[in-house]
Amino acid sequence: MEGETIVALSTPPGESGIAVIRISGARAQETLDGLTGRKTRESHRIYHERLVDEEGRIIDEALVVMMKAPNSYTGEDVVEISCHGGLQVVSEILEAAMRLGVMPAAPGEFTRRAFMSGKLDLAQAEAVADLIASETKLQRQVAIEHLEGGLSKSVREIEERILEHLALVELSIDFTEEELPTYDTNEMTASAEGLVEKLETVLKTDVAGLKLRHGMRITILGARNTGKSSLYNALIGEERAIVSPVPGTTRDLLRERIHIEGFTYYLEDTAGIAETGCEIEARGISIGRRAARGADIVLFVIDGSLEPEESVLDELGRIGGAETLCVLNKKDLGLSLDEEAAAKRLGVERVVAVSALEGTGLNGLRRWIHETSVSGSAADVGRERIAVNARQAEALREVSEGLERFIASAREGAPAELLSADLRSAAESCGLVTGRSVTDDLLDTIFSRFCIGK
Amino acid sequence: MNKIERYEIVVVGGGHAGCEAALAAARMGFETLMVTINKDDIARMPCNPAIGGLAKGQLVREVDALGGEMALNIDETGIQFRMLNRAKGPAVWSPRAQADKARYHERMVRVIMSEELLEVLEAEVVGIGVDSDRASGVIVRGGGRIEAQRVILALGTFPNGLMHIGEESFPGGREGEPPSCGLSDDLASLGIERGRLKTGTPARVERSSVDFSRCLEQPGDDDPSPFSFRTERIDQKQVSCYITHTNQATHDTIRSGLDRSPLYTGRISGVGPRYCPSIEDKVVRFPDRDRHQIFLEPEGIESEEIYINGLSTSLPRDVQEGMIRTVPGLEDARIVRYGYAIEYDFFPPRQIYPSLESRRIGGLYFAGQVNGTSGYEEAAAQGILAGINAGRSIKREKPILLGRAEGYAGVLVDDLVTKEIGEPYRMFTSSAEHRLLLRQDNADERLLKYAVRCRLLPKGQWERMIERRRRINRAAVRIGRERIGAADCNEILEGGGERPVQEPQSAARLLQRPRITIEMIATAMAGPLLELDRGERVALETRVKYEGYIKRQRRMADRLLRLDRMPIPEGFSYDIKALSTEAREKLERFRPVTLGQASRISGVRTSDLSIIMIFLDRMRRDGAPKGAEDARA
Repeated sequence: MEGETIVALSTPPGESGIAVIRISGARAQETLDGLTGRKTRESHRIYHERLVDEEGRIIDEALVVMMKAPNSYTGEDVVEISCHGGLQVVSEILEAAMRLGVMPAAPGEFTRRAFMSGKLDLAQAEAVADLIASETKLQRQVAIEHLEGGLSKSVREIEERILEHLALVELSIDFTEEELPTYDTNEMTASAEGLVEKLETVLKTDVAGLKLRHGMRITILGARNTGKSSLYNALIGEERAIVSPVPGTTRDLLRERIHIEGFTYYLEDTAGIAETGCEIEARGISIGRRAARGADIVLFVIDGSLEPEESVLDELGRIGGAETLCVLNKKDLGLSLDEEAAAKRLGVERVVAVSALEGTGLNGLRRWIHETSVSGSAADVGRERIAVNARQAEALREVSEGLERFIASAREGAPAELLSADLRSAAESCGLVTGRSVTDDLLDTIFSRFCIGK
Repeated sequence: MNKIERYEIVVVGGGHAGCEAALAAARMGFETLMVTINKDDIARMPCNPAIGGLAKGQLVREVDALGGEMALNIDETGIQFRMLNRAKGPAVWSPRAQADKARYHERMVRVIMSEELLEVLEAEVVGIGVDSDRASGVIVRGGGRIEAQRVILALGTFPNGLMHIGEESFPGGREGEPPSCGLSDDLASLGIERGRLKTGTPARVERSSVDFSRCLEQPGDDDPSPFSFRTERIDQKQVSCYITHTNQATHDTIRSGLDRSPLYTGRISGVGPRYCPSIEDKVVRFPDRDRHQIFLEPEGIESEEIYINGLSTSLPRDVQEGMIRTVPGLEDARIVRYGYAIEYDFFPPRQIYPSLESRRIGGLYFAGQVNGTSGYEEAAAQGILAGINAGRSIKREKPILLGRAEGYAGVLVDDLVTKEIGEPYRMFTSSAEHRLLLRQDNADERLLKYAVRCRLLPKGQWERMIERRRRINRAAVRIGRERIGAADCNEILEGGGERPVQEPQSAARLLQRPRITIEMIATAMAGPLLELDRGERVALETRVKYEGYIKRQRRMADRLLRLDRMPIPEGFSYDIKALSTEAREKLERFRPVTLGQASRISGVRTSDLSIIMIFLDRMRRDGAPKGAEDARA
């Protein structure tokens, strides 16, 4: 049995589907009691409960089951909560659990524990290790993507300021006999207050914003005039994009929410890719490509009535890690290659032929989107995104708490070593988001900025 | 000398690491031999005439709690005692003392000579005797061979030492001493990898040629605190140090000599410490500073030499003279010795286990500068641990391995085996993430148990510590329980500039306010505090004031301990494709002995640890042999 109790969403994220949240470890039951405000349950029985946050506000109604060790997947005490699949709800339950002292599961953590408790056989060690490695890669990818959107600049700035303060305090401790700049408690307190405010804004806007975006993103990409906007309109079922036979009509990114089989997606239409001298259009194209790189699913649209050009293959190769489906549009005009021949030519597993104009083939496309999002890597990305979000929000709250303690200590005239302890814990929590290591950086900062040494 | 001599433990080197190693070994009951090139060099201070300071003072207290000699030695031969950082909080209070260099050396020689099982031989060791990958003794110049079960290398800056002053370079171990050349090459031929580091020292000037009236006097503390838990009090008369500064003229002189500086002409290839740069480095790197601080420190009561702290240099002699004479107070200074830089070989410490035993050659231990550290105190801490662990391994006992939350000595060794040494390693308080737990006042509570277990200190020492802790506990209970009337409270609070209260309070509550000291509440709470001495009162005050912080750090330390308790067996293969490439390379390079150590190697991520755990578990379930866990750390 390991020290930490862990939590994670274990089903694919979807707007109105059912989500299952799993908690494993010695404190699983205690956490469930905290979430429901009620004690004692029999093992392996399902209960209907209301889940509340720390202020007693109801988050959701859910079915919960508690499985006592060793009769569970991980061999530890395990709690499974089947709640509503809304992303807001899932995020709130995860956050509430974390506030009760449960840690977000590390990549592959549930499986690793199952292995360690002897639930999986020895032959599976490599498979478990590979799972951990691939989930880690995914997590880093999602965390970086998160940081690239909005959050990063603010958090890095906050971290930089905290490290500056910390360096000054440490300087006064470790190099006490030297003529070096000293810190001004009032100035640092004022600055810390500013940082706390900034963190609140970050938590409210950036983090909340990321949460809202938590439906999967489907980006439609393709060459100019392949009928992307027609497909976009066909999928959302209304005339939203400007559809015209003039190539290059869609210059900015359009985004609309759609539902397939109870799951929410954000569908994005992009500018058609082409060599262009027009600066605005070129910008639109680069926005589109960037959107595709950050998307969960890319629908790569090809004019099926024409022979695919070499540039189409190049473009296909540029799309990043997202699940990609090639859509042969304009089936109504007659396909130059059938689906199988086109797949071979494009070097992909399968293509789907549709006519956006006549609305044929769309159901097959929807079915593919649904399957992809509940099983493939897109599902993992979505799940990870929620976890990363909850984890980062929690880390930022800890930064805030560290700073609050620092402000209180500084006001009371606490000695340098306590101010340092508070600032250090705030900086370390920042590091959970940015990946920076305080101990390694601290002395480097001091040596590079100050003239040290008797 | 051609006859074969036999000892249980041979210590090569008589510096601060060598002295502690040899004393610990002999005191544990082992026939010990210290081999030194020159007996007159035992416990010399080739650089600054001081013991202790930030983080280093804590190390000296720890060496003392482990039963070492350094603290007692400085307590008796110190000439100025100061407790640094008094205003920064008790965890970073650091004792420091100016030493009388000659007397420090003399006293240590007396202690060593009178240690029953310890002998000293004046000779140069040129090789290690090795039998099937285990050290079997040492070979001295002239062909003599000394057999030993364990060998401890504490060579200081001597291996292939190369000294630089201006455009001159000459082999040397330090001022006036030849280097030791054969041994470093012999170690290399045994497959031990070498690196090169650099350090330096300032010039010394004649006391009678200094005009102290132009400098600021820096006296010692009025109530000097001893380093050793075994010293009652410091009685000797204290002397002052003096502070002066460089100026624009100094900097101009330095700049004019840079074209002949070995640092800037590329003669020096070793890497010097960033925290202790030469004055030429400071002037070049921080051109905006109009002055740098200099401490004038006497090298002893009778010594005519003054150490110019802050003016470390390897500039040519004429430039040294010129720059020194621009400094107020030193206008007519006569230089007794010139500053120099020295390059020397070290043996990157990822090649040792945390017990300080070589991974390559069994029974061979490394301590001090050979591990890439700098400083007398860092050396002493490694010395005593090497002595203890060499002795324990003869008795087939497990080595003493200190955790990072147990002592600075633990942080030091852990850093050595998990980090690349890019510059001479010095202890900083900020390197200790559990700093609030590692106070100079509780070094005995943390470490005395090991000294008693190894019979380095008598049991009575332990009982005294327990008794002391009981007294503090009793007082803590009483000041937490007994209440003081509101009027008396407010008198105390007002005296400390704190907000008044309405209700009666316990003394502990008052003491939690930052500006209220234990002496302030002593008036209203005399009873419980009566039986506590000054040090015990500080310990009590710290405990009350820091309760929340200490608990938090303790929790954190305990959490990390879990990984430190998971051993990775010797031959563990990192050839696991799921590990990131960087992690695999680093793990192969450092070969950590616990998961905790693996976690502290840069480039190793949590996921890599999880993957290693999976394979460790598979080995365990496979019933694979656990590896030679006892033989190593």
